[in-house]
Amino acid sequence: HPHSRPRHPGVSTMLPLLLLLLPAAHGIAPLGYRPALTKDPQLEGVKTASTFVVDQPRCVFQNYSNAVIWLVVALNQAASTFNNSAGPGTSETAFQRFPDPVRAYMTLNATLGSYPCPKPDGDIAVLRVGSETSCIRDEMRPSCNGPLPGPGPYRVKFLALEGSVPVAETAWSVPITLREAKPSSTISTTGSGHSPGMIAITTILSILFAILLAGLVAMLFFWGSDSCGSSSTFSKPESVTVRRYNTHHVYDQPAARL
Amino acid sequence: MAKSDDCAHILQGLLVFGNVVIGMCGIALTAECIYFVSDPHGLYPLLKATANSDINAAAWIGIFVGLALFALSILGIIGVIKASRTLLLVYIILMLITFAFEMASCITAATHRDSLTPEFFLKQMLDRYQKSEPANNSDSEITKAWDELMLQNHCCGVTGPSDWQEYVSEFRRTHSDADYPWPRKCCVLDAQGLPVNLDGCKLGVPGYFNSNGCYDAISGPANTHAWGVAWFGFAILCWTFCVLLGTMFYWSGIEY
Repeated sequence: HPHSRPRHPGVSTMLPLLLLLLPAAHGIAPLGYRPALTKDPQLEGVKTASTFVVDQPRCVFQNYSNAVIWLVVALNQAASTFNNSAGPGTSETAFQRFPDPVRAYMTLNATLGSYPCPKPDGDIAVLRVGSETSCIRDEMRPSCNGPLPGPGPYRVKFLALEGSVPVAETAWSVPITLREAKPSSTISTTGSGHSPGMIAITTILSILFAILLAGLVAMLFFWGSDSCGSSSTFSKPESVTVRRYNTHHVYDQPAARL
Repeated sequence: MAKSDDCAHILQGLLVFGNVVIGMCGIALTAECIYFVSDPHGLYPLLKATANSDINAAAWIGIFVGLALFALSILGIIGVIKASRTLLLVYIILMLITFAFEMASCITAATHRDSLTPEFFLKQMLDRYQKSEPANNSDSEITKAWDELMLQNHCCGVTGPSDWQEYVSEFRRTHSDADYPWPRKCCVLDAQGLPVNLDGCKLGVPGYFNSNGCYDAISGPANTHAWGVAWFGFAILCWTFCVLLGTMFYWSGIEY
Protein backbone atom coordinates (compact mmCIF):
# COMPACT_ATOMS: atom_id res chain seq x y z
CA HIS A 1 0.00 0.00 0.00
CA PRO A 2 1.35 3.42 -0.88
CA HIS A 3 -0.48 5.02 2.08
CA SER A 4 -0.50 3.64 5.58
CA ARG A 5 -4.01 4.93 6.22
CA PRO A 6 -6.58 6.54 3.90
CA ARG A 7 -6.65 10.28 4.12
CA HIS A 8 -9.86 12.29 3.70
CA PRO A 9 -9.23 14.64 0.74
CA GLY A 10 -10.80 17.65 2.41
CA VAL A 11 -9.17 17.28 5.77
CA SER A 12 -6.58 19.89 5.03
CA THR A 13 -9.24 22.55 4.48
CA MET A 14 -11.55 21.23 7.22
CA LEU A 15 -9.17 21.90 10.10
CA PRO A 16 -8.69 25.66 9.68
CA LEU A 17 -12.44 26.03 9.06
CA LEU A 18 -13.24 24.23 12.30
CA LEU A 19 -10.79 26.41 14.17
CA LEU A 20 -12.50 29.46 12.69
CA LEU A 21 -15.96 28.33 13.61
CA LEU A 22 -15.08 27.23 17.13
CA PRO A 23 -15.21 30.66 18.80
CA ALA A 24 -18.40 31.52 16.96
CA ALA A 25 -20.08 28.26 17.88
CA HIS A 26 -19.06 28.63 21.48
CA GLY A 27 -21.85 27.38 23.72
CA ILE A 28 -24.31 25.92 21.20
CA ALA A 29 -24.49 22.19 21.65
CA PRO A 30 -25.46 20.41 18.44
CA LEU A 31 -28.07 17.77 19.23
CA GLY A 32 -28.25 14.81 16.91
CA TYR A 33 -32.04 15.03 16.50
CA ARG A 34 -33.34 15.93 13.05
CA PRO A 35 -36.90 17.28 12.87
CA ALA A 36 -39.07 15.37 10.45
CA LEU A 37 -42.60 15.25 9.12
CA THR A 38 -44.87 13.14 11.29
CA LYS A 39 -45.02 9.54 10.13
CA ASP A 40 -46.87 7.97 13.01
CA PRO A 41 -49.86 8.22 13.01
CA GLN A 42 -50.46 8.67 9.31
CA LEU A 43 -52.03 12.08 8.99
CA GLU A 44 -53.98 13.10 5.92
CA GLY A 45 -52.98 16.70 6.48
CA VAL A 46 -49.29 16.12 7.15
CA LYS A 47 -48.61 18.44 4.24
CA THR A 48 -51.16 20.85 2.86
CA ALA A 49 -50.72 23.82 0.58
CA SER A 50 -49.66 26.14 3.41
CA THR A 51 -49.05 24.00 6.49
CA PHE A 52 -47.05 20.98 7.50
CA VAL A 53 -46.79 18.84 10.60
CA VAL A 54 -43.58 17.86 12.42
CA ASP A 55 -43.08 15.72 15.48
CA GLN A 56 -42.58 17.44 18.79
CA PRO A 57 -38.97 17.24 20.07
CA ARG A 58 -39.69 14.85 22.92
CA CYS A 59 -36.75 13.62 24.97
CA VAL A 60 -34.36 15.84 23.01
CA PHE A 61 -33.80 18.91 25.18
CA GLN A 62 -33.60 17.05 28.49
CA ASN A 63 -30.54 18.95 29.71
CA TYR A 64 -32.04 22.37 29.07
CA SER A 65 -34.92 22.69 31.49
CA ASN A 66 -34.41 26.44 31.74
CA ALA A 67 -34.39 27.11 28.03
CA VAL A 68 -37.15 28.22 25.73
CA ILE A 69 -37.31 26.01 22.66
CA TRP A 70 -38.06 27.79 19.41
CA LEU A 71 -38.80 26.41 15.98
CA VAL A 72 -36.84 28.04 13.17
CA VAL A 73 -38.45 27.87 9.74
CA ALA A 74 -36.18 28.86 6.88
CA LEU A 75 -36.18 28.84 3.12
CA ASN A 76 -34.09 25.98 1.84
CA GLN A 77 -31.24 28.15 0.63
CA ALA A 78 -31.26 30.34 3.76
CA ALA A 79 -30.81 27.42 6.16
CA SER A 80 -27.05 27.31 6.01
CA THR A 81 -26.70 31.06 6.50
CA PHE A 82 -29.04 31.38 9.47
CA ASN A 83 -27.55 33.32 12.35
CA ASN A 84 -28.33 31.56 15.63
CA SER A 85 -27.91 34.78 17.55
CA ALA A 86 -30.81 36.45 15.80
CA GLY A 87 -33.31 37.14 18.50
CA PRO A 88 -36.82 35.80 18.29
CA GLY A 89 -39.62 38.30 18.37
CA THR A 90 -37.58 40.89 16.49
CA SER A 91 -38.12 42.18 13.00
CA GLU A 92 -35.17 40.08 11.83
CA THR A 93 -37.10 36.91 12.51
CA ALA A 94 -40.66 38.18 12.21
CA PHE A 95 -43.10 35.94 10.42
CA GLN A 96 -44.87 38.90 8.85
CA ARG A 97 -41.73 39.81 6.91
CA PHE A 98 -41.16 36.28 5.64
CA PRO A 99 -40.04 35.33 2.94
CA ASP A 100 -38.85 38.71 1.80
CA PRO A 101 -36.74 40.32 3.29
CA VAL A 102 -36.67 37.91 6.23
CA ARG A 103 -35.60 34.47 4.98
CA ALA A 104 -36.04 32.56 8.22
CA TYR A 105 -38.44 33.16 11.06
CA MET A 106 -38.83 31.80 14.57
CA THR A 107 -42.07 30.62 16.06
CA LEU A 108 -43.79 28.05 18.28
CA ASN A 109 -41.84 28.83 21.43
CA ALA A 110 -42.32 26.42 24.31
CA THR A 111 -40.56 25.29 27.47
CA LEU A 112 -39.44 21.77 28.23
CA GLY A 113 -42.62 21.26 30.24
CA SER A 114 -44.61 21.27 27.00
CA TYR A 115 -42.63 18.32 25.74
CA PRO A 116 -42.74 15.77 28.58
CA CYS A 117 -40.53 12.75 28.22
CA PRO A 118 -41.26 9.93 27.59
CA LYS A 119 -44.22 10.44 25.33
CA PRO A 120 -47.28 8.58 26.68
CA ASP A 121 -48.58 5.91 24.34
CA GLY A 122 -51.57 6.97 22.35
CA ASP A 123 -50.79 10.68 22.55
CA ILE A 124 -50.34 12.48 19.28
CA ALA A 125 -47.37 14.78 19.82
CA VAL A 126 -47.14 16.98 16.79
CA LEU A 127 -46.60 20.59 15.89
CA ARG A 128 -48.62 22.05 13.04
CA VAL A 129 -46.58 24.76 11.35
CA GLY A 130 -48.91 27.33 9.82
CA SER A 131 -52.04 26.90 11.89
CA GLU A 132 -52.47 30.45 13.19
CA THR A 133 -54.35 32.58 10.71
CA SER A 134 -55.38 35.41 13.02
CA CYS A 135 -51.95 37.06 13.23
CA ILE A 136 -50.83 36.86 9.60
CA ARG A 137 -50.67 40.63 9.30
CA ASP A 138 -50.32 41.52 12.97
CA GLU A 139 -46.89 43.14 13.27
CA MET A 140 -47.21 43.08 17.06
CA ARG A 141 -46.91 39.29 16.93
CA PRO A 142 -43.67 38.54 15.09
CA SER A 143 -43.59 35.00 16.40
CA CYS A 144 -46.88 34.17 14.72
CA ASN A 145 -47.22 30.60 13.52
CA GLY A 146 -48.77 31.74 10.30
CA PRO A 147 -49.46 29.78 7.11
CA LEU A 148 -46.53 29.44 4.80
CA PRO A 149 -46.72 31.70 1.79
CA GLY A 150 -45.66 29.23 -0.88
CA PRO A 151 -44.83 25.62 -1.58
CA GLY A 152 -41.22 26.04 -0.41
CA PRO A 153 -39.05 24.05 -0.03
CA TYR A 154 -38.46 24.85 3.63
CA ARG A 155 -36.20 23.50 6.35
CA VAL A 156 -36.81 23.61 10.09
CA LYS A 157 -34.80 23.12 13.21
CA PHE A 158 -35.29 23.57 16.92
CA LEU A 159 -33.21 26.13 18.82
CA ALA A 160 -33.02 26.35 22.62
CA LEU A 161 -32.42 29.82 24.06
CA GLU A 162 -31.66 30.68 27.66
CA GLY A 163 -32.59 34.30 27.90
CA SER A 164 -31.26 35.53 24.60
CA VAL A 165 -28.31 33.16 24.38
CA PRO A 166 -28.66 30.11 22.15
CA VAL A 167 -27.51 27.01 24.00
CA ALA A 168 -28.56 24.05 21.85
CA GLU A 169 -29.80 23.34 18.41
CA THR A 170 -30.97 20.34 16.46
CA ALA A 171 -29.95 19.53 12.92
CA TRP A 172 -31.81 21.05 10.03
CA SER A 173 -34.56 18.89 8.61
CA VAL A 174 -34.51 17.65 5.04
CA PRO A 175 -36.15 20.14 2.64
CA ILE A 176 -39.92 20.03 2.93
CA THR A 177 -41.93 20.88 -0.17
CA LEU A 178 -45.62 21.59 0.30
CA ARG A 179 -48.48 20.51 -1.95
CA GLU A 180 -49.38 22.60 -4.93
CA ALA A 181 -52.92 22.69 -6.23
CA LYS A 182 -53.50 22.10 -9.91
CA PRO A 183 -56.23 24.03 -11.68
CA SER A 184 -59.45 22.14 -12.20
CA SER A 185 -59.16 22.59 -15.94
CA THR A 186 -56.53 19.85 -15.93
CA ILE A 187 -59.24 17.31 -15.15
CA SER A 188 -60.29 15.70 -18.40
CA THR A 189 -63.92 14.77 -18.47
CA THR A 190 -64.04 13.73 -22.10
CA GLY A 191 -63.83 10.44 -23.81
CA SER A 192 -64.58 7.78 -21.31
CA GLY A 193 -66.05 5.95 -24.25
CA HIS A 194 -69.31 4.13 -24.43
CA SER A 195 -69.91 1.15 -22.26
CA PRO A 196 -70.59 -2.17 -24.02
CA GLY A 197 -74.06 -2.23 -22.48
CA MET A 198 -75.05 1.00 -24.12
CA ILE A 199 -73.75 -0.14 -27.51
CA ALA A 200 -75.65 -3.43 -27.17
CA ILE A 201 -78.89 -1.68 -26.30
CA THR A 202 -78.58 0.73 -29.19
CA THR A 203 -77.77 -1.82 -31.87
CA ILE A 204 -80.27 -4.44 -30.80
CA LEU A 205 -83.12 -1.99 -30.44
CA SER A 206 -82.36 -0.41 -33.77
CA ILE A 207 -82.43 -3.79 -35.47
CA LEU A 208 -85.71 -4.74 -33.81
CA PHE A 209 -87.29 -1.45 -34.76
CA ALA A 210 -86.14 -1.85 -38.35
CA ILE A 211 -87.65 -5.33 -38.52
CA LEU A 212 -90.95 -4.07 -37.16
CA LEU A 213 -91.06 -1.24 -39.67
CA ALA A 214 -90.35 -3.68 -42.46
CA GLY A 215 -93.12 -5.90 -41.18
CA LEU A 216 -95.53 -3.00 -41.09
CA VAL A 217 -94.65 -2.05 -44.65
CA ALA A 218 -95.09 -5.64 -45.81
CA MET A 219 -98.43 -5.80 -44.05
CA LEU A 220 -99.78 -2.66 -45.68
CA PHE A 221 -98.34 -3.54 -49.06
CA PHE A 222 -100.16 -6.82 -49.11
CA TRP A 223 -103.38 -5.36 -47.71
CA GLY A 224 -105.40 -5.64 -50.86
CA SER A 225 -104.21 -8.97 -52.18
CA ASP A 226 -105.16 -12.43 -50.99
CA SER A 227 -101.57 -13.37 -50.67
CA CYS A 228 -99.89 -16.57 -49.67
CA GLY A 229 -103.17 -18.43 -49.26
CA SER A 230 -103.54 -17.10 -45.80
CA SER A 231 -106.70 -15.14 -46.39
CA SER A 232 -109.07 -17.70 -45.03
CA THR A 233 -106.77 -19.17 -42.37
CA PHE A 234 -108.43 -17.43 -39.45
CA SER A 235 -112.15 -17.07 -39.66
CA LYS A 236 -114.14 -14.41 -37.96
CA PRO A 237 -116.33 -15.58 -35.10
CA GLU A 238 -119.59 -14.60 -36.84
CA SER A 239 -118.85 -16.75 -39.92
CA VAL A 240 -121.35 -17.65 -42.65
CA THR A 241 -122.68 -21.17 -42.26
CA VAL A 242 -123.04 -23.25 -45.40
CA ARG A 243 -126.62 -24.38 -45.94
CA ARG A 244 -127.18 -27.86 -47.22
CA TYR A 245 -129.31 -28.23 -50.26
CA ASN A 246 -131.75 -31.17 -50.24
CA THR A 247 -131.23 -32.73 -53.68
CA HIS A 248 -134.24 -35.01 -53.40
CA HIS A 249 -136.56 -32.06 -53.20
CA VAL A 250 -135.55 -30.97 -56.76
CA TYR A 251 -136.33 -34.32 -58.42
CA ASP A 252 -139.66 -34.77 -56.61
CA GLN A 253 -141.35 -31.77 -58.30
CA PRO A 254 -141.47 -32.98 -61.98
CA ALA A 255 -142.73 -36.43 -60.82
CA ALA A 256 -145.66 -34.76 -58.99
CA ARG A 257 -146.71 -32.72 -62.12
CA LEU A 258 -146.75 -35.77 -64.40
CA MET B 1 -110.73 -26.21 -40.69
CA ALA B 2 -110.52 -27.61 -37.22
CA LYS B 3 -106.75 -27.55 -37.29
CA SER B 4 -106.53 -23.92 -38.39
CA ASP B 5 -109.22 -23.03 -35.86
CA ASP B 6 -107.01 -24.50 -33.18
CA CYS B 7 -104.08 -22.59 -34.64
CA ALA B 8 -106.11 -19.44 -34.56
CA HIS B 9 -107.17 -19.99 -31.00
CA ILE B 10 -103.62 -20.71 -29.88
CA LEU B 11 -102.32 -17.59 -31.56
CA GLN B 12 -105.13 -15.52 -30.10
CA GLY B 13 -104.38 -16.90 -26.68
CA LEU B 14 -100.69 -16.16 -27.04
CA LEU B 15 -101.36 -12.63 -28.21
CA VAL B 16 -103.77 -11.95 -25.38
CA PHE B 17 -101.23 -13.29 -22.91
CA GLY B 18 -98.50 -11.17 -24.53
CA ASN B 19 -100.62 -8.07 -24.25
CA VAL B 20 -101.47 -8.77 -20.62
CA VAL B 21 -97.76 -8.98 -19.85
CA ILE B 22 -97.12 -5.75 -21.76
CA GLY B 23 -99.86 -4.03 -19.78
CA MET B 24 -98.43 -5.12 -16.45
CA CYS B 25 -94.90 -4.19 -17.48
CA GLY B 26 -96.17 -0.80 -18.56
CA ILE B 27 -97.59 -0.17 -15.11
CA ALA B 28 -94.34 -1.37 -13.54
CA LEU B 29 -92.30 0.93 -15.79
CA THR B 30 -94.46 3.89 -14.85
CA ALA B 31 -94.09 3.14 -11.16
CA GLU B 32 -90.33 2.70 -11.43
CA CYS B 33 -89.88 5.93 -13.35
CA ILE B 34 -92.04 7.87 -10.90
CA TYR B 35 -89.78 6.56 -8.14
CA PHE B 36 -86.68 7.76 -9.95
CA VAL B 37 -88.16 11.15 -10.78
CA SER B 38 -88.99 11.66 -7.11
CA ASP B 39 -85.21 11.57 -6.45
CA PRO B 40 -85.11 9.76 -3.11
CA HIS B 41 -81.33 10.15 -2.76
CA GLY B 42 -81.22 13.88 -3.36
CA LEU B 43 -78.84 13.55 -6.28
CA TYR B 44 -80.87 15.45 -8.85
CA PRO B 45 -78.99 18.79 -8.52
CA LEU B 46 -75.72 17.00 -9.16
CA LEU B 47 -77.03 15.10 -12.18
CA LYS B 48 -78.93 18.01 -13.64
CA ALA B 49 -75.92 20.08 -14.59
CA THR B 50 -74.77 18.26 -17.67
CA ALA B 51 -74.11 19.37 -21.18
CA ASN B 52 -75.55 16.28 -22.76
CA SER B 53 -78.67 14.28 -22.27
CA ASP B 54 -80.60 14.32 -19.08
CA ILE B 55 -81.21 11.12 -17.18
CA ASN B 56 -84.41 12.59 -15.83
CA ALA B 57 -85.78 13.08 -19.33
CA ALA B 58 -85.45 9.34 -19.86
CA ALA B 59 -87.42 8.71 -16.68
CA TRP B 60 -90.14 11.16 -17.66
CA ILE B 61 -90.49 9.54 -21.07
CA GLY B 62 -90.67 6.20 -19.27
CA ILE B 63 -93.67 7.33 -17.23
CA PHE B 64 -95.71 8.20 -20.29
CA VAL B 65 -94.55 5.19 -22.28
CA GLY B 66 -95.62 2.93 -19.44
CA LEU B 67 -99.11 4.38 -19.40
CA ALA B 68 -99.30 4.18 -23.18
CA LEU B 69 -98.26 0.55 -23.11
CA PHE B 70 -100.96 -0.22 -20.61
CA ALA B 71 -103.67 1.49 -22.70
CA LEU B 72 -102.47 -0.05 -25.93
CA SER B 73 -102.34 -3.52 -24.44
CA ILE B 74 -106.04 -3.24 -23.61
CA LEU B 75 -106.69 -2.11 -27.17
CA GLY B 76 -104.67 -5.03 -28.42
CA ILE B 77 -106.58 -7.56 -26.36
CA ILE B 78 -109.89 -6.25 -27.66
CA GLY B 79 -108.60 -6.22 -31.22
CA VAL B 80 -107.31 -9.79 -31.04
CA ILE B 81 -110.48 -11.18 -29.53
CA LYS B 82 -112.73 -9.39 -32.04
CA ALA B 83 -110.25 -10.13 -34.88
CA SER B 84 -110.86 -6.62 -36.19
CA ARG B 85 -108.40 -5.48 -38.86
CA THR B 86 -108.92 -1.78 -38.16
CA LEU B 87 -108.41 -2.04 -34.45
CA LEU B 88 -105.30 -4.14 -34.87
CA LEU B 89 -103.83 -1.80 -37.47
CA VAL B 90 -104.33 1.17 -35.14
CA TYR B 91 -102.81 -0.90 -32.37
CA ILE B 92 -99.74 -1.80 -34.41
CA ILE B 93 -99.06 1.74 -35.57
CA LEU B 94 -99.47 3.25 -32.10
CA MET B 95 -97.32 0.53 -30.62
CA LEU B 96 -94.56 1.32 -33.09
CA ILE B 97 -94.63 4.96 -32.06
CA THR B 98 -94.44 3.96 -28.39
CA PHE B 99 -91.60 1.59 -29.26
CA ALA B 100 -89.67 4.44 -30.81
CA PHE B 101 -90.12 6.65 -27.75
CA GLU B 102 -89.10 3.93 -25.34
CA MET B 103 -86.07 3.19 -27.51
CA ALA B 104 -85.06 6.84 -27.21
CA SER B 105 -85.51 6.69 -23.45
CA CYS B 106 -83.35 3.59 -23.05
CA ILE B 107 -80.54 4.93 -25.20
CA THR B 108 -80.65 8.29 -23.42
CA ALA B 109 -80.44 6.67 -20.00
CA ALA B 110 -77.57 4.41 -21.02
CA THR B 111 -75.62 7.22 -22.70
CA HIS B 112 -76.02 9.58 -19.79
CA ARG B 113 -74.97 6.91 -17.35
CA ASP B 114 -71.69 6.58 -19.26
CA SER B 115 -70.93 10.23 -18.74
CA LEU B 116 -71.15 10.06 -14.95
CA THR B 117 -67.46 9.52 -14.33
CA PRO B 118 -65.61 10.54 -11.14
CA GLU B 119 -63.82 13.24 -13.12
CA PHE B 120 -67.16 14.75 -14.09
CA PHE B 121 -68.31 15.06 -10.48
CA LEU B 122 -64.90 16.22 -9.32
CA LYS B 123 -64.84 19.09 -11.76
CA GLN B 124 -68.39 20.06 -10.91
CA MET B 125 -67.67 20.00 -7.19
CA LEU B 126 -64.46 22.01 -7.48
CA ASP B 127 -66.05 24.62 -9.72
CA ARG B 128 -69.34 25.09 -7.94
CA TYR B 129 -69.28 23.94 -4.33
CA GLN B 130 -69.48 26.95 -2.04
CA LYS B 131 -69.17 29.33 -4.93
CA SER B 132 -68.98 32.78 -3.37
CA GLU B 133 -71.22 34.57 -5.85
CA PRO B 134 -73.62 31.90 -7.00
CA ALA B 135 -74.24 32.61 -10.65
CA ASN B 136 -77.63 30.99 -10.58
CA ASN B 137 -79.78 28.90 -8.35
CA SER B 138 -78.18 25.66 -9.34
CA ASP B 139 -74.87 26.59 -7.66
CA SER B 140 -76.46 26.94 -4.23
CA GLU B 141 -78.42 23.77 -4.87
CA ILE B 142 -75.22 21.93 -5.66
CA THR B 143 -73.68 23.21 -2.42
CA LYS B 144 -76.70 22.05 -0.43
CA ALA B 145 -76.72 18.69 -2.20
CA TRP B 146 -73.00 18.12 -1.49
CA ASP B 147 -73.36 19.14 2.16
CA GLU B 148 -76.25 16.75 2.58
CA LEU B 149 -74.37 14.01 0.76
CA MET B 150 -71.22 14.36 2.89
CA LEU B 151 -73.28 14.49 6.05
CA GLN B 152 -75.48 11.47 5.32
CA ASN B 153 -72.83 9.21 3.89
CA HIS B 154 -69.88 10.24 6.08
CA CYS B 155 -67.70 10.89 3.09
CA CYS B 156 -65.59 13.76 1.79
CA GLY B 157 -64.99 14.97 -1.75
CA VAL B 158 -65.25 12.67 -4.73
CA THR B 159 -62.20 10.46 -4.19
CA GLY B 160 -61.28 11.73 -0.73
CA PRO B 161 -60.32 14.87 1.23
CA SER B 162 -57.20 15.18 -0.91
CA ASP B 163 -59.38 16.47 -3.73
CA TRP B 164 -59.46 19.78 -1.91
CA GLN B 165 -55.68 19.80 -1.67
CA GLU B 166 -54.78 18.62 -5.12
CA TYR B 167 -56.91 21.04 -7.09
CA VAL B 168 -57.75 24.71 -7.03
CA SER B 169 -61.40 25.13 -6.14
CA GLU B 170 -64.02 27.79 -5.57
CA PHE B 171 -64.13 26.62 -1.98
CA ARG B 172 -60.45 27.41 -1.58
CA ARG B 173 -60.98 31.00 -2.72
CA THR B 174 -63.12 31.84 0.29
CA HIS B 175 -61.72 29.40 2.85
CA SER B 176 -58.01 29.52 3.68
CA ASP B 177 -56.03 26.34 3.41
CA ALA B 178 -54.71 26.58 6.97
CA ASP B 179 -58.15 26.89 8.55
CA TYR B 180 -60.02 24.67 6.11
CA PRO B 181 -57.82 22.03 4.50
CA TRP B 182 -61.18 20.47 3.63
CA PRO B 183 -64.75 21.54 4.38
CA ARG B 184 -66.07 21.23 7.91
CA LYS B 185 -68.66 18.75 6.71
CA CYS B 186 -65.81 16.30 6.19
CA CYS B 187 -65.18 16.23 9.93
CA VAL B 188 -66.85 13.75 12.25
CA LEU B 189 -69.66 15.82 13.69
CA ASP B 190 -71.47 15.50 16.98
CA ALA B 191 -75.20 15.77 17.59
CA GLN B 192 -75.16 19.56 17.30
CA GLY B 193 -73.39 19.47 13.98
CA LEU B 194 -70.04 20.69 15.32
CA PRO B 195 -66.77 18.86 14.74
CA VAL B 196 -65.94 16.45 17.56
CA ASN B 197 -62.29 17.51 17.43
CA LEU B 198 -61.57 20.38 15.10
CA ASP B 199 -57.80 20.15 15.38
CA GLY B 200 -57.90 16.44 14.80
CA CYS B 201 -60.02 17.03 11.74
CA LYS B 202 -57.68 19.69 10.36
CA LEU B 203 -54.66 17.48 10.95
CA GLY B 204 -56.35 14.53 9.36
CA VAL B 205 -56.16 12.20 12.32
CA PRO B 206 -57.94 8.95 11.49
CA GLY B 207 -61.23 8.86 13.34
CA TYR B 208 -61.89 12.60 13.40
CA PHE B 209 -62.56 13.10 9.74
CA ASN B 210 -64.14 11.16 6.88
CA SER B 211 -61.39 9.82 4.71
CA ASN B 212 -63.38 8.04 1.99
CA GLY B 213 -64.79 9.67 -1.10
CA CYS B 214 -68.43 10.16 -1.98
CA TYR B 215 -68.25 8.76 -5.49
CA ASP B 216 -69.65 5.39 -4.46
CA ALA B 217 -72.56 7.06 -2.73
CA ILE B 218 -73.35 8.96 -5.92
CA SER B 219 -72.69 6.35 -8.55
CA GLY B 220 -74.60 3.61 -6.76
CA PRO B 221 -78.04 5.23 -6.98
CA ALA B 222 -77.22 6.84 -10.32
CA ASN B 223 -76.34 3.44 -11.77
CA THR B 224 -79.49 1.87 -10.40
CA HIS B 225 -81.49 4.72 -11.85
CA ALA B 226 -79.93 4.50 -15.28
CA TRP B 227 -79.84 0.75 -15.62
CA GLY B 228 -83.32 0.46 -14.17
CA VAL B 229 -84.71 2.65 -16.89
CA ALA B 230 -82.46 1.35 -19.67
CA TRP B 231 -82.45 -2.40 -19.10
CA PHE B 232 -86.02 -2.77 -17.95
CA GLY B 233 -87.12 -0.74 -20.95
CA PHE B 234 -84.97 -2.94 -23.17
CA ALA B 235 -86.59 -6.09 -21.79
CA ILE B 236 -90.07 -4.68 -22.33
CA LEU B 237 -89.20 -3.74 -25.87
CA CYS B 238 -87.89 -7.20 -26.70
CA TRP B 239 -91.13 -8.73 -25.46
CA THR B 240 -93.15 -6.09 -27.31
CA PHE B 241 -91.23 -6.93 -30.48
CA CYS B 242 -92.34 -10.55 -30.30
CA VAL B 243 -95.94 -9.63 -29.56
CA LEU B 244 -96.02 -7.15 -32.43
CA LEU B 245 -94.61 -9.66 -34.89
CA GLY B 246 -97.26 -12.13 -33.80
CA THR B 247 -99.94 -9.48 -34.15
CA MET B 248 -98.78 -8.60 -37.65
CA PHE B 249 -98.92 -12.26 -38.61
CA TYR B 250 -102.37 -12.58 -37.06
CA TRP B 251 -103.58 -9.43 -38.81
CA SER B 252 -102.53 -10.62 -42.20
CA GLY B 253 -104.43 -13.84 -41.62
CA ILE B 254 -107.76 -12.31 -40.72
CA GLU B 255 -110.37 -12.48 -43.48
CA TYR B 256 -112.25 -9.30 -44.19
